[in-house]
Amino acid sequence: MTNTSKWTLRVVVMSYLGVLIGLPVTFLVVKAFGHGFGAFWSEVTQRDALDALKLSLEVAAIAVPVNALVGVGAALLIARHDFVGKRVLDTVFDVPIAISPIIIGIALVLAYSRIGWFGAPLARWGINVLFTPLGIVLATMSVSLPYVLRSILPVLLEVGDDQEQAARTLGAGRFRIFFQVTLPSIRWAVLYGVTLTIARTLGEFGAVLVVSGNITGVTQTLPIYIFDSWDQRFDVLGSYSGALVLALISIGVLGILAALKRREKKLLVDFA
Amino acid sequence: MSISLSHLTKHYAKTHAVQDVSAEIKHGSLTAVLGPSGSGKSTLLKLISGLEKPDEGTVTIDGEDMTHVDPRHRDIGFCFQHYAPFRHMNVAKNVAFGLKVRKRPKKEIDARVSELLALVKLEGKAKSFPAQLSGGERQRMALARALAIEPRVLLLDEPFGALDAVVRAELRHWLKELHGQLHVTTVLVTHDQQEAMEVADQLIVMRAGRVVQSGNPLALYESPATDFVHEFLGPSTIFEGEVTRPHDLELVSVHQGQVKGRITSIVSLGFEAQVTVELSDGTSTWVQLSRNELSAMGLRVALLVGVRRREDIDA
Repeated sequence: MTNTSKWTLRVVVMSYLGVLIGLPVTFLVVKAFGHGFGAFWSEVTQRDALDALKLSLEVAAIAVPVNALVGVGAALLIARHDFVGKRVLDTVFDVPIAISPIIIGIALVLAYSRIGWFGAPLARWGINVLFTPLGIVLATMSVSLPYVLRSILPVLLEVGDDQEQAARTLGAGRFRIFFQVTLPSIRWAVLYGVTLTIARTLGEFGAVLVVSGNITGVTQTLPIYIFDSWDQRFDVLGSYSGALVLALISIGVLGILAALKRREKKLLVDFA
Repeated sequence: MSISLSHLTKHYAKTHAVQDVSAEIKHGSLTAVLGPSGSGKSTLLKLISGLEKPDEGTVTIDGEDMTHVDPRHRDIGFCFQHYAPFRHMNVAKNVAFGLKVRKRPKKEIDARVSELLALVKLEGKAKSFPAQLSGGERQRMALARALAIEPRVLLLDEPFGALDAVVRAELRHWLKELHGQLHVTTVLVTHDQQEAMEVADQLIVMRAGRVVQSGNPLALYESPATDFVHEFLGPSTIFEGEVTRPHDLELVSVHQGQVKGRITSIVSLGFEAQVTVELSDGTSTWVQLSRNELSAMGLRVALLVGVRRREDIDA
């Protein structure tokens, strides 16, 4: 490529990223600190904001490990076993990516409302899903389901089962094979998938909004708190401040992701 | 330990990978299972190891029926075609794996690992990772790992397939020596007849899932049971409608031979020369001569010659 076209391309890409991401985020930072750091700090440390942050982290603390286990299990099942319905299972894992979160939210409402299939019997046991943190956990797990599986599956298929078979002939049992042979060869993919899951879990808005009922201090996650401040309470400073906190967490997660990618690249080069 | 295979059959989907295979593998022997790709030889190895279960038939190792025993309890050393190294473990840890599974004391494991690394000439590589080894070194590491558990039987799937010619010849020689030292019953799978003839003391020739012939290499070379074995085990050509070895033919002056023909090409390969002759009946055959024979007879392309079997001289 000539120097001119290289520079042109660079300018075009940077401008595009600037318009889409750079400028809005800059404005967000400027606005959040518009009344000084003190105002920002009192916004993010007020009770409702802290409750929302706490709930978001709690939901992530449940949804992420559960999805990691399910993802690893399903990936092993698909990569290492043949069974009827395998392709269906594989496809079902893509549903949360393919359809809008709001649809997942509405589907959960239909299933778990008091007249829904699961809602009625659960209500008799005194378990309510809708408008409770439990519903938020379910909605979040649904939308963040595919990431671990999708990160691991190609690696599992690429690595193949030679090492596992070798371990078997050397006398190793299932547990030893999983923890000493399979897991070490997919560990970076697992971490990558977990990072994506965390990002998705913390940021989820649509599906959670539908099932949560948006009860301040009880079922309000950080994204919903931000929306609520903006849309209902006209507390724009609260909204900007909350948004900045969420953005900082996401940037932190992205930073870890970038570091992992570098590590993975190094690893791939090693094994080439 | 001897291995006895009886009427083994294994289907995949609709293909017969292995069909009604019976064979006896003697204690301490080095047996090569030889066949073209798709002949079922690798599947046979997996059936012996237990990594695949037969649809029918039995696998007996040293008199013990092993057909339904899990591979982890068969005490078998298996070397995979691509060595299957544990990529996240260094060489020493790879070799130690089977011993750790067996919960041997650490001191004993360390001693055994250094002993094995010396045996496979990888002493300086204990801390290296598989990615840092050459193909030949990986192969030797895989062998050490398999030998660590003192297997009753050593199974090698295409052990030299992925190596370049020079390393291959070296390793072949070395494997034969190693077998001479250890006397562990060894079965190796290969599609390379030269490799099989050179290394093995027993051959099992397979084609399309069945055993075509088995026995010691020279006997199979000298008296192949079928044209397939004949052609597969060494150079062959057709003379008077029969498959024959080109070194069993000779060229004579045109009035001496009953079959006459014209030389169409001469290829010199150092000591040996391959002379192709178009016979008077329109068919073509080739004869393997030594360099001395070639020059003594003053052969050249387009010359008319007689062709006959060498044993005709004795007759």
